[in-house]
Amino acid sequence: MQGRQTYIWRIFATGACFTLFGIGGLILGVIVFPATLLLPGGPERRRARMRGLVQRALRLFVRVINGMRVISYEFHGTERLGRTGQLIIANHPTLVDVVLIVAFTPAPCCVVKAAMFRNPFTRGVVRAAGYISNSSTDEMIHGATAALRCGDSLVMFPEGTRTRPGQPLQFARGTASIAVKAADVLTPVYIRCEPLLLPKFAPWYRVPPRRPHYTLEVGEDIDLTAYHGLPPPKASRLLNAWLLQHFSERLGTSRGYNATSGN
Amino acid sequence: MQTKDEILEQIKASLAALFELDPAQITLAARLNEDLEIDSIDAVDLLDGLRRQTGRKITAEDFRSVRTVGDLVEAIYKLVEP
Repeated sequence: MQGRQTYIWRIFATGACFTLFGIGGLILGVIVFPATLLLPGGPERRRARMRGLVQRALRLFVRVINGMRVISYEFHGTERLGRTGQLIIANHPTLVDVVLIVAFTPAPCCVVKAAMFRNPFTRGVVRAAGYISNSSTDEMIHGATAALRCGDSLVMFPEGTRTRPGQPLQFARGTASIAVKAADVLTPVYIRCEPLLLPKFAPWYRVPPRRPHYTLEVGEDIDLTAYHGLPPPKASRLLNAWLLQHFSERLGTSRGYNATSGN
Repeated sequence: MQTKDEILEQIKASLAALFELDPAQITLAARLNEDLEIDSIDAVDLLDGLRRQTGRKITAEDFRSVRTVGDLVEAIYKLVEP
């Protein structure tokens, strides 16, 4: 029973990858980061260094989960990620999305959910890398606009949480508000995963019957000039509605090219 | 020193301009969220506007209990009090 064996293997490998992720987070946050405090440079330099480390660690992690046959992926257009003041927005079907995007974006900042600042495995890393919590709207918007104005590239998921399977896409307006205020460039990333791995409400061991394949595609930059002349509440409402429709359409059909892939 | 009526007039003007609302809707009893559809993202824009206008350090905490236009008038009145 080849099929059953690989299925059991993938349950085991998925669990192993979760464990690896947690241990990696701990090592980075509790050992590596404190060690980098001994290196020269101020807080900004340290934060940048940590973001670089996180990116490289996640790139390695992606290689491992690909190698262990937990997922396969193709990522088109990664050369357009990581520009100055770039806001990168993606839909959020699964738990692995942020891992893939950060792994292929040079040292980005991220808005991450507040729970990651409390989780002992991720707490050290998200603090050291200066990631932004989504816990308070006021702090999230000010943190994100400040990061973009400093020239960071910033990763956000406008859905705010993973997509509810079978439900229409919903975007919270915070991302659009931040884009209108402070983004030099707004770049969409469309994520598809077939069959779905770790969607919302699924326990980790319920792995899909086949190895999930991710297709990530960096879209064309979104022109913001039309929104800049409008009062912020109106601009962010219009942009949010446009983005929602755009992502809904693009996730229906599209095929990419020029892939960085792992099979 | 502004009176509460002056503050209300200012709020009416800025809310009407920012959110394209009918000034007649903006009464003291009007609830910001339910009646005027002003959400937490808008609240951030409003606070930024207030910070610019008053030049004061204003935190979201000062407005935590604000629910209606009347609450907003009271909160601003307290902030600009000498």
